[in-house]
Amino acid sequence: MKIALAQISPVLGNIEKNLKLHLDLIKRATTQKADLIIFPELSLTGYSLRDLAAEIALRPKDSAAFSQLLDASGSIDLVFGFAEDREANPGIIYNSAAYLSRKRCLHLHRKVFLPTSGMFEEGRFFASGREIKSFETNFAKTGLLICRDFLHYCSSYCLFAGGASLIIIISAAPGRGVSKTEGQSFETSEMWELMGQAVSFFSSAVTIYCNRVGIEDGAVFAGGSYVYSPYGQLVIRLPYLEEDFTVLELDLNEITQARRSWPFRRDDRPEVIWRSLERIIRQEDED
Amino acid sequence: MKINCPLVTKVLARFICEETRKTGFNQVILGLSGGLDSAVCASLAVQALGSRKVVALILPYANLDPEGLAQAEKMANLLKIKVSKIDISPQIDAYFSAFPTDNLVLKGNKMARERMSILYDFSAREKALILGTSNKTELLIGYGTIHGDMACGLNPMGDLYKTQVIELGQYLKIPDEILTKKPTAALWPGQTDEEEIGLTYAELDQILFRLVDLRQSPDEVSQAGYDQKKIRRIIEMIKRSEFKRKMPPIAKISSRTVGHDFLYPYDWDK
Repeated sequence: MKIALAQISPVLGNIEKNLKLHLDLIKRATTQKADLIIFPELSLTGYSLRDLAAEIALRPKDSAAFSQLLDASGSIDLVFGFAEDREANPGIIYNSAAYLSRKRCLHLHRKVFLPTSGMFEEGRFFASGREIKSFETNFAKTGLLICRDFLHYCSSYCLFAGGASLIIIISAAPGRGVSKTEGQSFETSEMWELMGQAVSFFSSAVTIYCNRVGIEDGAVFAGGSYVYSPYGQLVIRLPYLEEDFTVLELDLNEITQARRSWPFRRDDRPEVIWRSLERIIRQEDED
Repeated sequence: MKINCPLVTKVLARFICEETRKTGFNQVILGLSGGLDSAVCASLAVQALGSRKVVALILPYANLDPEGLAQAEKMANLLKIKVSKIDISPQIDAYFSAFPTDNLVLKGNKMARERMSILYDFSAREKALILGTSNKTELLIGYGTIHGDMACGLNPMGDLYKTQVIELGQYLKIPDEILTKKPTAALWPGQTDEEEIGLTYAELDQILFRLVDLRQSPDEVSQAGYDQKKIRRIIEMIKRSEFKRKMPPIAKISSRTVGHDFLYPYDWDK
């Protein structure tokens, strides 16, 4: 399987320009015979939207931009991010990611964990999604997460328990921390890589993280998109802070091999986890 | 408190470059005082845009700070940037002859605002975005003139403490005489920042770093060996200068109000 990682810097609040950027890169990825192209979080809209979120949110069914991307998915699978005005719940805006394939939307993930503290204010402008679900694609059972979702390790566990062997995270993660005098990126980049390595290894899954670059209102997005193998080995890391477009081959056979060596998946006990969680939740209510 | 200088330089150069483009300018302008902050800022601007896209103004008050003037000229020559010198004493003297005062702070603030006024005029003439040179230490304790030296279009060094600016200055090879001289606002002869603030930057930055970056309580900072009185004074300075870091408050009357719930990004469609 060949994937393309589009480490881009979208124009904040301009869907037209961003759609063009998406279509151009989709064309480039198709020319290079990629099977799947992945864009970062809120790639169609930009990240720091604030009140713009509600104004430029798309309804997938009536959006011209969405339908052009559906058309483009005739020749390549694609993952991108956008602000969604949910049809079943109009006026409620989500930070969403779509997986499109063969002119169909295979899955929509709505960001569950909305960072709302410090420099982040997503909970002020978005509603949080209520489901983390694996889904079938032409290549592998896949899971989709958005940025902070991935830092809550229970999200990856849900995908793992749901059978995902390809975990895709789209992100708009600003960098923070420069007190380590060595290194080419902010300290927070290490946090993302730590989780990527751990989740790949302990889920025996390929983890693909696509982060954006560029600067919005002083927030410096760190880039450093990566792929980890099912053995937790770094396959590729894109440059920090710089725009990039990379096509690479993934060996999906490694997933089976890794699961033979390390039977984490075979030995998983979601029913025990479920019962334990239930008890914890009930207990908390009583407290 | 050490910083990764190559990374910080790369990020700030990118910030200057990207934000200049987004605001529709293709060059930047800044006031060069002969001090370290403006020297580091000019050097970052040259890294970001090249020396031909950086305009410097040297804005002395008559012969108040000859050393600063010479060092500002030296810095401009070193960086090969366009430079103009404008003496602000005619306008300042005209004003204070009508409204005399012995209050040095009033005089200093007036000079800072005169320089701001000239920078904004030249910003429009030269079509150049104004770079501010306030560092994090100054911003936090409010050691700056509101609508004076704090006014700018972009503030690249606002998240660097003074001691970190010094570290960055060493990395950027700012001349030793600028790196080692006592920081001064040069608003009157012999003024130094540390004397006026009553703390050394080394101590001030350590306390600020613990309070702000590490979110330590005043008690925790004092347990780490810092003087309680100094900690209290710094907290008081932070509190009393919040107005310098914010847009003025607007009374909420309607259902949607600028600053309260009319919230758009600065970089909208850029």
